[in-house]
Amino acid sequence: MNTNPLLNRNLAAERMASLSRRRFLRGLGACMALPAFESFSPFNLSAAPAALPGVAGKAAPVRMAFIYVPNGTIPSAWWPGGDAGKDFVMPPTLEPLAKVRHEMQVISGLDDINADPGPDGAGDHARAGGTFLTGVRIKKTAGSDIYAGVSIDQVVASQIGHLTRFASLELTCDSVRKAGNCDSGYSCSYEYNLAWRSPTQPMSPEPNPRLVFERLFGTGSPGERVQNLKRRQQEQQSILDFVMEDANAVQRKLNGRDRQKLDQYLTSIREIEQRIEKAERMPVSNPAMEAPSGIPSNFEEHIALMSDMMLLAFQTDSTRIATMLFAGEGSNRTFTEIGLSEGHHNLTHHRNVQDSVDKVKQIDFWYMKQLAKFLEKMEQTKDVDGQSLLHNSMIVYGSGNADGNRHTHTNLPILLAGSGGGAFKGGRYVKTKPVPLTNLFLSMADRLGAKGIERHGDSTGRLEIIA
Amino acid sequence: MLEFQINTPNRGLHLHLVARLMVAAAIMGASVSGAETPAVTQFRREVEPVLKEYCSDCHADGESKGGVAFDVFKTDAALLHPDLWFNVLKNTRAGLMPPSKKPRPSVAEQQTLERWIKYAAFGIDPKNPDPGRVTVRRLNRVEYRSTIRDLMGIDFNSEVEFPPDDTGYGFDNIGDVLTISPMLLEKYMAAAKDIVGEAVPLVGKVVPERSIPGSRFTAAGTAQDPGMGRGRGFGGRANPQEAMRTMNYYEPATVSMATQVDKAGTYRITLDLAVKGNFDFDPGRCLIVFKVDGRELLRQEFGWYDNKSFSFDFDAKWEAGEKKMTFELEPLTPVEKKINSLDMRIARVRLQGPLEKEHWITPKNHERFFTRQAPDGSAGRRAYAKELLGNFAARAFRRPVETATADRLAALAEGVYTTPGKSFEAGVAHAMVAVLASPRFLFRLEEPADATAKDPVSDVDEYALASRLSYFLWSTMPDDELIALAGKGELRKNQAAQVRRMLADPRSEKMVQNFSGQWLQTRDVEGIAINARAVLARDDGTEKQARQQQAEFRAQLALRTNSLQGAVGLLSTNTVGGTNAAGPAGFAAGKKGKQGFGFRRPVAPRVELDRELRDAMRNETEMFVSSIVHENRPVTELIDSGYTFLNEKLAKVYGLTNLGVTGTEMRRVALPSGSPRGGVLTHGSALVVTSNPDRTSPVKRGLFILENFLGTPVPPPPPNIPSLEATEQDIKDRELTMREAMQIHREKPLCASCHARMDGIGLAFENFNAMGMWRDKERNQEIDTAGKLITGETFNTVAELKRILATEHRGDFYRCLTEKFLTYALGRGTDYYDVESIDQIVGRLEKGNGKFSALLMGVVESAPFQKMRTRATETASADPTEAHNGVARGAVKPAKP
Repeated sequence: MNTNPLLNRNLAAERMASLSRRRFLRGLGACMALPAFESFSPFNLSAAPAALPGVAGKAAPVRMAFIYVPNGTIPSAWWPGGDAGKDFVMPPTLEPLAKVRHEMQVISGLDDINADPGPDGAGDHARAGGTFLTGVRIKKTAGSDIYAGVSIDQVVASQIGHLTRFASLELTCDSVRKAGNCDSGYSCSYEYNLAWRSPTQPMSPEPNPRLVFERLFGTGSPGERVQNLKRRQQEQQSILDFVMEDANAVQRKLNGRDRQKLDQYLTSIREIEQRIEKAERMPVSNPAMEAPSGIPSNFEEHIALMSDMMLLAFQTDSTRIATMLFAGEGSNRTFTEIGLSEGHHNLTHHRNVQDSVDKVKQIDFWYMKQLAKFLEKMEQTKDVDGQSLLHNSMIVYGSGNADGNRHTHTNLPILLAGSGGGAFKGGRYVKTKPVPLTNLFLSMADRLGAKGIERHGDSTGRLEIIA
Repeated sequence: MLEFQINTPNRGLHLHLVARLMVAAAIMGASVSGAETPAVTQFRREVEPVLKEYCSDCHADGESKGGVAFDVFKTDAALLHPDLWFNVLKNTRAGLMPPSKKPRPSVAEQQTLERWIKYAAFGIDPKNPDPGRVTVRRLNRVEYRSTIRDLMGIDFNSEVEFPPDDTGYGFDNIGDVLTISPMLLEKYMAAAKDIVGEAVPLVGKVVPERSIPGSRFTAAGTAQDPGMGRGRGFGGRANPQEAMRTMNYYEPATVSMATQVDKAGTYRITLDLAVKGNFDFDPGRCLIVFKVDGRELLRQEFGWYDNKSFSFDFDAKWEAGEKKMTFELEPLTPVEKKINSLDMRIARVRLQGPLEKEHWITPKNHERFFTRQAPDGSAGRRAYAKELLGNFAARAFRRPVETATADRLAALAEGVYTTPGKSFEAGVAHAMVAVLASPRFLFRLEEPADATAKDPVSDVDEYALASRLSYFLWSTMPDDELIALAGKGELRKNQAAQVRRMLADPRSEKMVQNFSGQWLQTRDVEGIAINARAVLARDDGTEKQARQQQAEFRAQLALRTNSLQGAVGLLSTNTVGGTNAAGPAGFAAGKKGKQGFGFRRPVAPRVELDRELRDAMRNETEMFVSSIVHENRPVTELIDSGYTFLNEKLAKVYGLTNLGVTGTEMRRVALPSGSPRGGVLTHGSALVVTSNPDRTSPVKRGLFILENFLGTPVPPPPPNIPSLEATEQDIKDRELTMREAMQIHREKPLCASCHARMDGIGLAFENFNAMGMWRDKERNQEIDTAGKLITGETFNTVAELKRILATEHRGDFYRCLTEKFLTYALGRGTDYYDVESIDQIVGRLEKGNGKFSALLMGVVESAPFQKMRTRATETASADPTEAHNGVARGAVKPAKP
């Protein structure tokens, strides 16, 4: 009787609000018990024929994710002692990963030299964030003319993004933003965005798990979601035609940076059009669960929900590429949940005072536990080929700062979890001579089937030692 | 090629303008290559002698302190480069150069220098200054929300639905950083659809409908239905539970209410009920009976569900008059069998009717979007759609639209309303969605007053001016009056009167909130983490005990939540004194795995920076700035004033308990004479946002004032600086005061050069702790607030410092505030070519006794606000972004071997 979709949505929101997270997770658990895709509407495997590179084993695609943790880690608690290889002793910070040890590699020797001060002076946090996936020197500017590079996830997404409904997914667990300037004359864009579609267009990440879910699967109750999504997309088409014409007309009159803004608008329109076109070819999955109800006030739950969203997106093959910020670079969050009243960033400038070092270790450990929960779930989730979702993924976890105390950007703390569908050998501590972090990214890009990427940022080659 | 290195943005643009200047100078008469331009001649004649006299000790003859030397220019272009002179101007004006111990130029000499810099080196024409260029601005989420409210009449919570906007130059309305991504555009499209769906009725006539929230049903049954209101916002904030009536399955209950029915006819009554149980089963059953005027419409049994909604509807013939509606709940299960809670909730009762067509009404909001009922013929419909949508698009785009646009929109509407089952209104609504997704709505596109002019600079046209005024003063779209004046070409003429009118409008509070919220970082009060216990312990001198308690707490927490191995691994390196005492006991208990073992959280501190206190702090600053703005007071009162705004809670925190301020409401309070409060610098908001989570930060406080009040920020710190706590660690035998710790912290000369500027200012505020509370002691030691500014003035107390800032440094403050306000007004950072415009505004402030109106009108009437560079200029210029791209690519360092 009530035909207003918005009112329906409000009612749905009311229903959702009363659902506990426990209930939500129960739903997710039920989904995970089945192999990927099978619990959803029929999945058309022709989207990923076995012949395609980037597809592991029996037509299971390879996924790639980057999870960022700010302010570096305490190196002494991060690096395994002793030799490279399978028999390394798990260092204290990595202990939570014990259960997924066989699916991960600890890689030492990776550098991000463009995060060094160079001619630009202070601002190591902004640079660490802005260079992490771009590998280029970012422009020091407080506002106008932000300029980084295209990030690796977007480079790959531009090649294989057409295979899934979403070329990529950008997430953040950091929903608070500072007023004013960020780091030493750098725009806040560099700290709050990992993914850059072009040097001037960061892909703002989504902090709200409900909105991620609705974007992936549609609004409303499980029963009406697919319909709602289809209807919305059909309606969008005629509107897209109109605004495209509008934007073209406006753009003809502009130049310089104004034109660039409209370019961003136009590329965005084209992307939505492609998605609609894709949605007609590729059936939308419909997880048998309610959408989560918003941003939880508890940080741990927030990370858990956002991780769940990433897992769902991978499991349903809605996308194969994701980035997630646990927190923006330079984050000064206090961790009262583990009894720390000082800010994370303040603490990392510890100058080797043992008490502060220990506190940072606890934060590193806390973040690692959140990662471990996600990886364990990935491990428990079966993919279409019978392997675990984790096995078929490549998940980089790390920071653009190595030692937060001294702002170093060499020998970064980097983990590679997942085997890329069997391409990588897990359960190892890998030591390499100093090479750019971007070398690792190139080797990953190959596994997703990206072609012809000779270089990325400051790369000097591939990092095949991980294979 | 340049002989000096100074970091500033926009280098590409500078170079371009310098090039232009050189060309202009060449045309003006200087002979071709080799000869000096007039600017250089003037430099040799008037400026160089001043520099030689006062600066050459450090900046010539082989000396180049700070990378600056005045005698090594290889080319005229290098000599005239604006970056260098912009810094010279800032440093000499602020009295930072020459240093306070050295002789300074006379006023006349300083003026010679300033004039040459502005009019020769920068090439500014004081009668027609370069207005600069503002990148086309996307509406930020604050502006989007208020624009939607004004355009559509509904509240859309953009802060939940859209991601936060990036900031530049300290503000979130800067065109250059307001980017758009596919995700954001998708959100805009979804939002447009939702907003139109909520606001625009899709049919011309509807059955009258009312919704009665369940909460109106009471045991007494006295509530009258006030009719249905729909003012509530949407987008995630509603609390539906408040509107419900909850009844326990195990308690008999009768609730009722009465409602008035005006017309006789057929009514449809819909009951929306919900059973809310525990996640786990409960055997409870109950009977629900619903009656209208004693006549039973529903009799239904309910059992356990964890959460399930029910809907029942009935049609009834009613006479006009009062109808009494009653719900009765009869328990069917004895309460002894109860395992878990189980409730029946009355969500709402909906009344529709009379259902007879002759009683149907025009839906709410119909007249807002439709002027009349749709005609029948297709030509008439198309013309009507075109008229409606043309007008709507003009409002949404904030300027008239061409016929072609109205035609396209009408066609879009027609495509929908000619399909079966779709109303005319649905078609128009569909086209409205397109309008709200258009770049012409989402971006503020500006036109010059004269598009054909060949001049490099033109006034912005009147519609652009209307938008500039309304987004500056109201953070929303122009209202009808502004647009009407712009349409007649009379806005610029009546600008002063319009600004007065706009300031008197409550919407101007948005300017106060958005400008001061970011300039003074008042917005951050909401989210900043402050540990009250740690802060208070420092004041009381009980930090050691507090730290010990905290270490205990952490140890136990680690034990409880981590694997034992992990916890031990982490704790083994913990050297905090006192841990050992608690350690073994904790460990032992932990192994037994008992719940709640020795889990002792320290008692709550006596003051917490809770939600209410944070709100009070933010309100204090906003109300205070608002009073300066709306009472046209001198802006120096922002630094030093005799009043503020308090409620009981905030007054208590400030220790102002004898002023009789009671209750939660904020009100204006005259401060007792001699009070250290007054002025935003001693507002809780400013004191809190410039503190660390566990202590004050004199560095942050000093920097805050240098950056936001004096306009002389210090360069960012070098890497590898130890924290203050690290300094303290070096002195083991006693606890240092903040001042002592700072002294050790900055002992290296390199550190001292900047810290000398910040620390003295910051330490003057040491009587205020990290929560903004007054304290006489820190770590049980007296607090010394005396200090000296780099420019030489000395002070003993914070009151004296404020006085110095508001008097001796009034000029610096005027300039700094002007720059910030102009940045906010324009949506771009200020640059060297704005110096003249800023000087003119500062001049008005000086003449106008610092009254806020002088600042406001100065900004509104300034060249950058009124004018724009024309396309003629822009096309001739090298694209600055392009120029920059080269720099960025070139700057990628080769990778290591």
